[in-house]
Amino acid sequence: MFLPFFYQLRDQGVPISLRHVLEFYQAMEKGLAPDLDRLFILMRLIFVKKVEHFDGFEQAFAAYFLGAEGGEIPKFSHQAWEEKDFRRWLEEEMANGSLPEDALERLSLSELLQRFWDVVMEQRGKHRGGHTWVGTGGTSAFGHSGADREGIRVHGDSLHGSALKVIESRRYVDYATSATLRAENLRQVLAALKHMAPAGPLTELDVDETIDRSCRNGGEIELVFKRELRDRIQVIVLLDNGGASMRPYLDLVKLVFGLMRDHFKDLDYYYFHNCVYGCVYSDPKRLAPYLVHHLVRRDPETRVIIIGDANMAPAELMLSNGAMDYFSKIRVPGRDWLLQIRNHFTHSVWLNPIPRSRWPRESQTIDQVGEIFPMEDLTLAGIRRGVEWLNSGAPPKRANRQVAV
Amino acid sequence: MQFLGTDKYYLNPELKEIVNISTAMEKPLLVTGEAGTGKTQLAFEISRALELTLEEARCKSTFKGEELCYVYDTVLRLNDSRFGTEESGRDVNNIWDYLGFGPIGRAFLAEDRRVLLLDEIDKTDSDTQDNLLDVLEDASFIIREINHKVKANHMPITIITSNAKRELSDPFLRRCYCHHIPFPSMEEMTEIIRLHYPEISAPLMDSALAIFYHLRQQGFEKPPATAELLDWLGALQLDNAKPPFTPDKLPFLGTLLKRTQDLLQHKGVKRENV
Repeated sequence: MFLPFFYQLRDQGVPISLRHVLEFYQAMEKGLAPDLDRLFILMRLIFVKKVEHFDGFEQAFAAYFLGAEGGEIPKFSHQAWEEKDFRRWLEEEMANGSLPEDALERLSLSELLQRFWDVVMEQRGKHRGGHTWVGTGGTSAFGHSGADREGIRVHGDSLHGSALKVIESRRYVDYATSATLRAENLRQVLAALKHMAPAGPLTELDVDETIDRSCRNGGEIELVFKRELRDRIQVIVLLDNGGASMRPYLDLVKLVFGLMRDHFKDLDYYYFHNCVYGCVYSDPKRLAPYLVHHLVRRDPETRVIIIGDANMAPAELMLSNGAMDYFSKIRVPGRDWLLQIRNHFTHSVWLNPIPRSRWPRESQTIDQVGEIFPMEDLTLAGIRRGVEWLNSGAPPKRANRQVAV
Repeated sequence: MQFLGTDKYYLNPELKEIVNISTAMEKPLLVTGEAGTGKTQLAFEISRALELTLEEARCKSTFKGEELCYVYDTVLRLNDSRFGTEESGRDVNNIWDYLGFGPIGRAFLAEDRRVLLLDEIDKTDSDTQDNLLDVLEDASFIIREINHKVKANHMPITIITSNAKRELSDPFLRRCYCHHIPFPSMEEMTEIIRLHYPEISAPLMDSALAIFYHLRQQGFEKPPATAELLDWLGALQLDNAKPPFTPDKLPFLGTLLKRTQDLLQHKGVKRENV
């Protein structure tokens, strides 16, 4: 009886997995939801893991349970509910007896698993090109040949009985593709960026060294301590927050930047507009300047990530009076400032929100900046390559990388 | 086994259900919420109400996760191997004499079911969190030195608290039940105060509560929470302070506002009003 509700939850953007559905049935078998209130709490505990999904859950719950049991339906009209493919499909199922109403009491866990998957498989035959759930050629995360690359591929009979395994195994992102960015997979990529170095007090016993020295001492024990390895990574993010050219990528940049800020304990960020001239700014309105002069006094081991579209008038980059700010007294072209930054820090990368394929068409300055900094686009694969680059041991000091066109 | 709250702890009916569901489902319960909403206290009260021993782990940023399960004392063993064990009863050839167990290890090995509190998990880094969750999900950990698997006799009732200063990872959230404890409403706060000060006079409480919720809305850096309110009420009663109170003339203001900036801001507001 609960299956349509789970679909509804998904429609509301609450990510639910089979694992949670099974957990829910387990809880039902234990009799943990004797009334509607407790059912609500139970479901919320199992399905809602983040505050932002709470609303969707409540709406779905109200529409499904309160609506179905004679209460008022706050947000969904009955018509909308009727129109849902699922409702119709479910009624068919009930009518022909393939999904008994007392399924819950009668079926064991493994049977339910089987049934759940059967339902998904069954439905595959019923509609094509939709976007809600399983279908072919659609945009849903489930289905075959869909637009969502991370989705579960439903194909052939071989999936029967191993649904759980398949779902689990496809949950992780195929890094080789330009998979869409999500908070979760981005976090995995960022987690790879580390700089482990011995730090702190000598607290960790070096067992090998201790035994070695003790043996040399003729059995007289000599304890040897070492510093433990800690993540000492420092990151500076320079963010292009100006101009109309960056506007289409606002959400993308926000997501990436927000996660970076969460992820790295030691992160400083500054803003610039189009290109760097003499200083970057420590506030988004670009009123509090921070001189490049100071920036290049920082620890060269600091990883520098620049996020910007590198799309500017060629003059801004190349001419000595090219600065955007009309009154700027600075007579050094943008390119020189960028080179200063690039040459001071051993590891830096430019992340460009414009897809790589469009770089040559978008602006010639992208190529020119790409000659200074290693440039990647803001796809998962791009960020992963960028992180690999930032992690790499001995990078070449000089900027000499050519951008593939 | 039903948790029904205790005489010193006000239990919101919803939270009561949540605790009982996660106990029955043997799932860790992650409680988030502002300081002073009783997150940590919840574990203590569960242990008291159900008469189960509490194993407590206050997380530090340096934790790797393993030390919560077990600690292997290499130095002691080296020392014993050189100088002999004397009367300590330890056997140098037996590694078990040199293994100590942390809160998780103790909770797993105990004959009875225990309450396990992992306090302020957000202080640890995300690797540690993932390690811990694997341990809690499988109800087992491995002692690396001897490749021995320790399996839990009973799944402990696990309460994890977080101030949510840093976001926890999705895999972590997926394996817990999550509950955000909202700040108590005025009615609930009345209940809480009654539990702590049964004798309190109604005018004193009403006036204090009005001030308290007023102060909380001033956007202070550290808004006063339940603990501060209870301290303040305690001080007011000892001093026989007479209500009504006004915001610009508060006795024991220091018990409510702890940060200099907040105190200054409070006084600044007052001056503007005058």
